[in-house]
Parts: sequence; C-alpha cells; structure tokens
Amino acid sequence: MEPLLELQGVSVNFAGLQALADVTFNAHAGEVRAVIGPNGAGKTTLFNAVSGYVPTVAGTIHFKGTPIQGLAPHEISVKGVRRTFQNGGLFMELTVLENILAGLHVNIDSSFLGIVLGLGEAREAEREGIARAYRLLDLMDLGAIADQPVKDLSGGQQRMVEIVRTLATDPPLLLLDEPVVGLSPPMRDRMMEIIRRLAGEEGIGIMLIEHVIDLVMSGSDVIVVLSSGEVIAEGTPDEIRQNREVLEAYLGHA
Amino acid sequence: MSETRGPSTPSMTRWRRIYYLIPVVALVIPYFANEYLLWVVNAILVYTLVTVGFNLIIGNLGQLAFANTAFFGIGSYTTAILMVYFGVPYVLAIVASAVVGGIAGFLASVAALRGIRLYYLAIITLAFGELMRWVYLHGDKVTDGSDGLLLPKASFFWIPLDSEAPKFYVFLLLTVLVVKATSNLMRSKIGRAIVAIRDNESSTASLGIHTARYIVLAFVWSGAVVGIAGAMFAVLTERVLPESFGLTEVIIHFGMVLVGGTGSIVGSVLGAIALTALPEYFRQFPGMDELFFGIVIVLVLLFLPKGLVSLLHRISPVFQERYYRD
Repeated sequence: MEPLLELQGVSVNFAGLQALADVTFNAHAGEVRAVIGPNGAGKTTLFNAVSGYVPTVAGTIHFKGTPIQGLAPHEISVKGVRRTFQNGGLFMELTVLENILAGLHVNIDSSFLGIVLGLGEAREAEREGIARAYRLLDLMDLGAIADQPVKDLSGGQQRMVEIVRTLATDPPLLLLDEPVVGLSPPMRDRMMEIIRRLAGEEGIGIMLIEHVIDLVMSGSDVIVVLSSGEVIAEGTPDEIRQNREVLEAYLGHA
Repeated sequence: MSETRGPSTPSMTRWRRIYYLIPVVALVIPYFANEYLLWVVNAILVYTLVTVGFNLIIGNLGQLAFANTAFFGIGSYTTAILMVYFGVPYVLAIVASAVVGGIAGFLASVAALRGIRLYYLAIITLAFGELMRWVYLHGDKVTDGSDGLLLPKASFFWIPLDSEAPKFYVFLLLTVLVVKATSNLMRSKIGRAIVAIRDNESSTASLGIHTARYIVLAFVWSGAVVGIAGAMFAVLTERVLPESFGLTEVIIHFGMVLVGGTGSIVGSVLGAIALTALPEYFRQFPGMDELFFGIVIVLVLLFLPKGLVSLLHRISPVFQERYYRD
C-alpha cells in the first residue's frame, strides 16, 4: 500500500539549534501512529513541520504522493492534513456549533457576492453547513451542547469538540497533539477508543503525541520514538518495549 | 429536525426582523423634526456607518487599528474633490469614496499582515491618520488647507440635497443598504472566519482558512464602509475641513464602538446614536458639556462593560446576535 505521508530526511532548525534532524518515516491510512519522546525531543515541531507551521531546512514531505513542504498551513489543511493543538485550538468565544462550522469553512460553497446580497444560494449553503455540523456533533453525542460557548465546556468536551472540528472535512490524515492530556482515566479510554475507531473503521491515518506510555502501548499500531530531534526507534509496541536504546533514552531504565 | 435547534431557529430569526421596522418608522422623522434636530439625526446616520466599519476591525477582527479617521477623511475629501473640481454627480462620488476608502483599508491591512500587531499596529495606524491630516493641510492647492473645501450643492440623482430632509432620506437609504450588507457578511462563513482569526489566528489556518485573505477583506470592507460615511459627512457639513479628522475624532469613534458594544452591529448603531445625540444635548451646559460627555462614557463602560447592546440582550435572548456574546 502506498504510504499516506512520507517524510524523507526532514530537518528543522531554530536559531542554529537543530530541532529535527534527518527524520525519515512513512505513515499509512488506517494506522494509529504514536510519536513519543522526552520533553524537547521535537514531537510538536514534527507536527508543526508537517502542517506547515515551521519551515523545514532540509528533506521532503509528501502527502498522497505530492510534496507539501513549503506550503502554508491553510494549503496543507485543504489537501487533507488536519491537526489539533497541544494548548487547544478552539475558538473560546464561539459556540460548539460555530466552531464546527468554522471547521467546515472550505466545504460551505457560497460566493462573496451571494453572501453580501443575501442571495438564496448563499443562505442554502449555510443551512447545509449547519445541518452537516449537527450530524457530526450527533455522531459524538455532542448535539445537546451545540449552542454552548466553548469556554463553558469541560476539558474533555473541549478535546472532543476539537477532534470533531478536524474531522469535519473528512481528512485522510489527522495529527493529534496530546489528545488525552488532562482527561480523567475513563474519558481517556473513551477518547482512545474513538481514535482507534476512526483509524479502524473510517480508514483515517492518525498520528498522535502522547505521554502516557500505557495508552501508547495499548492504543497504537506503530510507535516512533524521538530523542533530541532524531528518530531513535520505530516499530510496533512490542518491538519498542524490547528496544534497549529506547529504554535507556526514554523510559529511563535498562 | 436540526433546523429547530440552534441560534438560527426560524422563530428567533423571525423576531429579529423587528429591526427592519426601525428604518420604516424612521421615515416619518422629517414630518415632526426641525432642521436642527434633523441635522443631528443625519449625523447619527453618518456615525452609524463610521462605527459599523470601525467595529468590524476592533470588535470582530480584534485588531487595534485606528486608521478609521483616515478612512473617514479620505472618503470625505474624495467626494469633495470629485464634486468641486470635476463636477462628478454625488452618486458616483459616493462610489468613488467607497473604492478609495477600500484602497486605504488595504494599505492599513498591509501593516497587520506584516505581523505588526497590538500597540505597534495602534501607533502606526494613528500615525497614518495624522499623516493624512498633514496631507489635507499642506495639499492646499487642492484641499484649500485649513479653510476647508466648500462643496457645491449636491443632488442624489434628481433629488436636490438642499435641506436636511432630502439628505435624511438619502442617508437613511445608504445606511440601511450598507448595514444590511455588512450584517449579511458578518453572519456568513466570512464573518465566522474573521472572528475565528480574532480568537485564535494560527488554529484558524489549520482549518484551511486563508487568514491573510480575510484580514485584508475585513480592512477593505471597513475602509469602504467608512469611506461612504465620509461621502455622507461631506454633504452633511458642506465644507470638508482637516480638523474634522484629528485625534479627538479617533477617540469619539472608539468611544462609540465601546459604548455600543464591540463586535455587534446593533451595538454600533446604539453607540453612534448615544455619542452623537448626547454631546448635542449637553451643549446647553457650555463649559461643562465635555465633562458630561466623558462621565457618560466612563459610567457606561463601568456598569455595562459589554456596551449598550447587552441591555437589549437582557430584555430577550431574541436579540442575541451570532458571534457576539455577553
């Protein structure tokens, strides 16, 4: 099977400091791929590089066979790579529904003139967007909170809304930056279940950054271990568990 | 099923049509108002557009850009120069003021796009306004400098604008059209993208939204709306003066946005009404009028930090606007 995402020798520098060095791996559709590593290993930088938020200084990134390095974040998003943010990327002042509608932006097909003049086609496009947003929310049992401002939600609900928002345009690849951090253990399990289902049933390629090692071991198909910006290991949870270098560098016991 | 939920349920939308009654009822104003009162009402219409345009940048886009007075002056001088030197009909001068105001908006957006934000954007846009005032003063071969440019009698199509009543009807038409168009824009995916940028610019881009395009669009639309207000102001005052577009004017515009309610079109209208009518009312207390004016602004902001529009929302949730929370 052709890989969904191909990274070849990707490097990122911050003011002379090498944040990512020669990162090479492929990610596939229907796969949950965890990126782990100690703080400062370059996990979020890797996501930022793939989604266009930081420039690469070397290497290539291909998505579905076409190069995406050097493209702007919105261009990469339109191609089908969507992401969440570690500190939460929701629009706090807007309601859940409005956040999902913003996620559907590129799918709402109305022209500037149609909008300004209040033409029927523009209003119809907006109505379709609202109906689609409700379908997405209902799928995750979030329909009841559609009109609540996001800032009034619990942390777990916010994480859920952000994931639904990235899913709005049916993207083939999701980058989830710490999707379960701050959640209660039951919520965490539920979130991992949803993530597994998105990969297993919808065939979405998922890369996620996670610190809770048990969740990573039980929930992912492949693990990529980063340390000081380099990939020091890549493999199934079983392979990683037995990898000496990983144990020393990351898990802290040999 | 889903159509019966949410902020856009048919019953709520139907209730909000109550706003359409306002301009209809306003049509009778010239039948009982004297020339002076009508002049105040006309000024309110001008400042309604000034505030609607400014609020789009301050409230919706969330940028501290104070080029509004520059847009206002540029709109006024565009209309004045075209009418004085080229005998251009008023209708076309209004269109030209919108276009030139939009271009000025584009120029202001360049600063924001280059990553100049917050206080830096505030000071650079204030400087833009002062620079324009210098241009009006020193371009006296065209602008007549501090004497101001005296307008010839204008007519809107065949309607001569020789008294306040015909001006009122033309201004009301322009205001209703521009406010409705802006409201359509703000309630669409475009308005949503603009407030999304205010809340979290980088995550907005992750949704496939071309943030730079919407920042430019907001500034251009704001400039065009305030440019039209300038075209109205020129005909209202019949003499376009540099001192009408100074720093005090910036404070008044900002006060209207804050007193009305940031990010709300209805708030913009309320702010424009309050801060245009009150100074006129306080004129009967010479020497104290500016003090009273300042006290009113302070009191409103202390007790209604979300502006006059939040009073309306307390009456009924029907008046709750999309993308505006209190």
